[in-house]
Amino acid sequence: MDHFAVTNLTFAYAEDAPPIFQELTFAPEPGTFNLLTGPSGSGKSTLLKLLAGLYPQYGGVIQSGQVTVNDTEISTLQPFQRAAHVAMLFQNPSRQFAMRTVLEQLQFALANLQLSPPEIDRRIQTVLTDLHLTQFTHRALETLSGGEQQRVALASVLALGSSLILLDEPFANVDAAGRTQLLADLKTLQRTQHKTIILADHDLSGYAGLVDQLYHVDGTQRTLLQESPAALPATTPATPVQGQPLTTGPLAWHDLSLTVGDRPLITAAQFTLPASQLGLLSGDNGAGKSTLFAALTRQRRYAGDIRYQDRPAKQYKLKQWALQVAEVYQNSPDQFIRIQASDELALSAQHSLHPTYWTAERIAQAAARLNLAAVLDHVSYALSGGQQKKLQVLSMLIMGQPVLLLDEPFAGLDQASLQAVLTLLQQTIHDLQLSALVVSHQRQGVVSFMDYELHLADQQLQLIAGEAA
Amino acid sequence: MTQTADTPRGLNAATLTLIMIGIGFPLTFAQSVWLNTIVAGLGLLYLIALRVSWRKVSLILLIALPLAFGSWISFWFFGTVDRWHLAWMYGSRVYAYLLLGMIVTMTVSTQRWLVSLHLHFHLPNAFVFGLLGALNMADRVRHEFRRIQYSALMRGENLRLWNPLLYLRIVLVSLNWSNDLAEAMTSQGFTENAPRTELIADPMPAWQWGLAGGLIVIYCAAAFGLRPW
Amino acid sequence: MQHANSQVAQVNPVRWTIRDVIFLALIGVFFGIIYQLWSYVYYALAATPLKPYANDMTIGVWIMAGPLAGVLLRKVGASVIGELLAAAVEMMLFSSWGAADLISGFIQGIGNELGFAATGYKNWDKLGLLMSTIGATIVTFAWDWFQSGYKAYTPTMNITLLIIRFVSIGFFSGVLVYWIRQLVAKTGLLK
Repeated sequence: MDHFAVTNLTFAYAEDAPPIFQELTFAPEPGTFNLLTGPSGSGKSTLLKLLAGLYPQYGGVIQSGQVTVNDTEISTLQPFQRAAHVAMLFQNPSRQFAMRTVLEQLQFALANLQLSPPEIDRRIQTVLTDLHLTQFTHRALETLSGGEQQRVALASVLALGSSLILLDEPFANVDAAGRTQLLADLKTLQRTQHKTIILADHDLSGYAGLVDQLYHVDGTQRTLLQESPAALPATTPATPVQGQPLTTGPLAWHDLSLTVGDRPLITAAQFTLPASQLGLLSGDNGAGKSTLFAALTRQRRYAGDIRYQDRPAKQYKLKQWALQVAEVYQNSPDQFIRIQASDELALSAQHSLHPTYWTAERIAQAAARLNLAAVLDHVSYALSGGQQKKLQVLSMLIMGQPVLLLDEPFAGLDQASLQAVLTLLQQTIHDLQLSALVVSHQRQGVVSFMDYELHLADQQLQLIAGEAA
Repeated sequence: MTQTADTPRGLNAATLTLIMIGIGFPLTFAQSVWLNTIVAGLGLLYLIALRVSWRKVSLILLIALPLAFGSWISFWFFGTVDRWHLAWMYGSRVYAYLLLGMIVTMTVSTQRWLVSLHLHFHLPNAFVFGLLGALNMADRVRHEFRRIQYSALMRGENLRLWNPLLYLRIVLVSLNWSNDLAEAMTSQGFTENAPRTELIADPMPAWQWGLAGGLIVIYCAAAFGLRPW
Repeated sequence: MQHANSQVAQVNPVRWTIRDVIFLALIGVFFGIIYQLWSYVYYALAATPLKPYANDMTIGVWIMAGPLAGVLLRKVGASVIGELLAAAVEMMLFSSWGAADLISGFIQGIGNELGFAATGYKNWDKLGLLMSTIGATIVTFAWDWFQSGYKAYTPTMNITLLIIRFVSIGFFSGVLVYWIRQLVAKTGLLK
């Protein structure tokens, strides 16, 4: 049984940067299931990467203290030596595979350990059988769902024989069924093989009764606080949207179907996005919400009909379409096309579709309400996650396309920012009569601003709150 | 050639690469219509012997026709001496190059090509698996390129190919993705310059070294000794 | 890129890590897409007697990957390896040319590399890029003297072609690469 320990660790991203952790001491009990929580950007990933030995190899500086496995400093081990003790599953399943198929991926990992070919075959057989993945052996990883990809990643961790399994927001692209299955697999591994599990998640639902220890990353004290797992919520009751009678609007789709490979995501959907109203698009991770946005912004193929003011989408040039249907991207840097925050706003102001509404004064006011005024002369990429989100939303509101799709625009926002963003969003949408549709896994504090809710499940897109016109 | 390790057919990928480069390089300095035709012809015969899809081969040969014609006619127009010979020589050279490439690209998978270069020409593993990892992301790269363009169009701007802001986004996405993938591969035990188990057997019998060497020597002797038309 | 500041890439002047390779190969895949867009322009011109002019006008675009790799990674050999990786990607994903891709990628990379080498690998700024532009212009022109048969053209035409080539390489692989590097530096994401 391996013993991992973080001792008096002070770690920063650069020599001259403020430390992320200060004098941190932490040792997971072998064979336990540990949940690591904290807002996004608080340092959960950083702690996991330190335990995995990826930091400082891939960045940052240990200013004092150490991270050890069985009293050996983990950063002094070679990656192939570390992998036998600790391995990690990453947030974005699609960016953790070097190879094309499940079999090749497992072979790649095991060949790194310099095992003999028969031993490699034996281990692959065992893990694929244990995790019920045998039917996927020769499948291309690209064609698997997010949940399946994470189970393949778990299989390679298991095959490597690591006793500590680290998972960094592993459910970000995984649906509820996939999540339940992955959690059950992890629990089994902990019980039967005494694996130590540390899982980082900002969302606490579904862990009650499952985890042994709960830790909270405290950004202000730059350390870890232990909390009682009894504090975990049993199941979060979903706050319902109080639906309003829907208006009509310019963007509509009929008989819309989307597939990934040969896996259907959405079948025969139909809806008209109401103007001057704010809608919530809900559904599991991986159900196809982002894919729907990609189709509506003509970034991917679709079957069926998408129309703007009764003209088929394909009759518009992409350039014209982009001035009708806009998206606030989930990954903030995808939005930025300037360097400095103020230049992002200036560019939007210059090309705004509502130049008389967005006067310099109104823009300055909005920036102030979002608490952005002080950071406008900063580089956008260097802003905190929450500031980047607010900058994105404001930039797109200033553009003022008739249709605005927002993919997780509230991630990393504190309570006050959330309120400010929603208020600004609602006001702008009313004033400019925009149709806005929001994907947000967070419902608390959000649903009271919503006029209707569309729910995506089992390939069906259904209006579950709000009265169709 | 994006499919994975296939059942190898024909010559070893390293042999083919050696022939491709070993003849491709001196071909630049040779001046012979006949030799170009023979190289292209032998390449075509090899493809036929391996039963490579006839449709694909024809399509590629057809697409290259305007380029060969461009070479041909530019010497007809601008050539100073010996225009007939030069026009045919540079026109046929396009096909000699193309078929030299096709004997590799049409018959060997990416993975086998890289593994073969690793085993026989000591290409470091970081290059083998780095390239494979990046190539396996190709579809996502295409999506990302569209998204970059759309993100600018939404702001009333068109990122044209000479706009540095387009490349800024490309560099940042590549930086971010390469970091994620490299961390994941490291976590899976990948170590630069450490030995790994070689799972793909890729025999390169001595006669294939002989064949490649022989072909290159014969070609050079013919091109620079015999100098046919 | 949520934790942008945690992803500041470090630069090591000699060692090639898996991350460097993936980084340049991904840029190579993006360039593959850009080349496809450019190739329509090239193709339209290259099917006419103007083919040599098409070659020299667009050459700056085809060789950008090399100097870009150089100024981003600042490593000995980065231009050659960057250009070769882009050529390998091109060969495997986008074209059937194989030999021509790899050989010309190598020649072009050498041209740029010689420029940076001439500064003792100390200048990756304006001077380095100017030298790399000159290096690439000379080396690739010498190569085309044989490979594309420029020696058969009149001296006047060759001088014209040389000037066009210098301007093309100077803009795309010099000025544009310089701008890109400036922008990347401003983001603070690459040291």
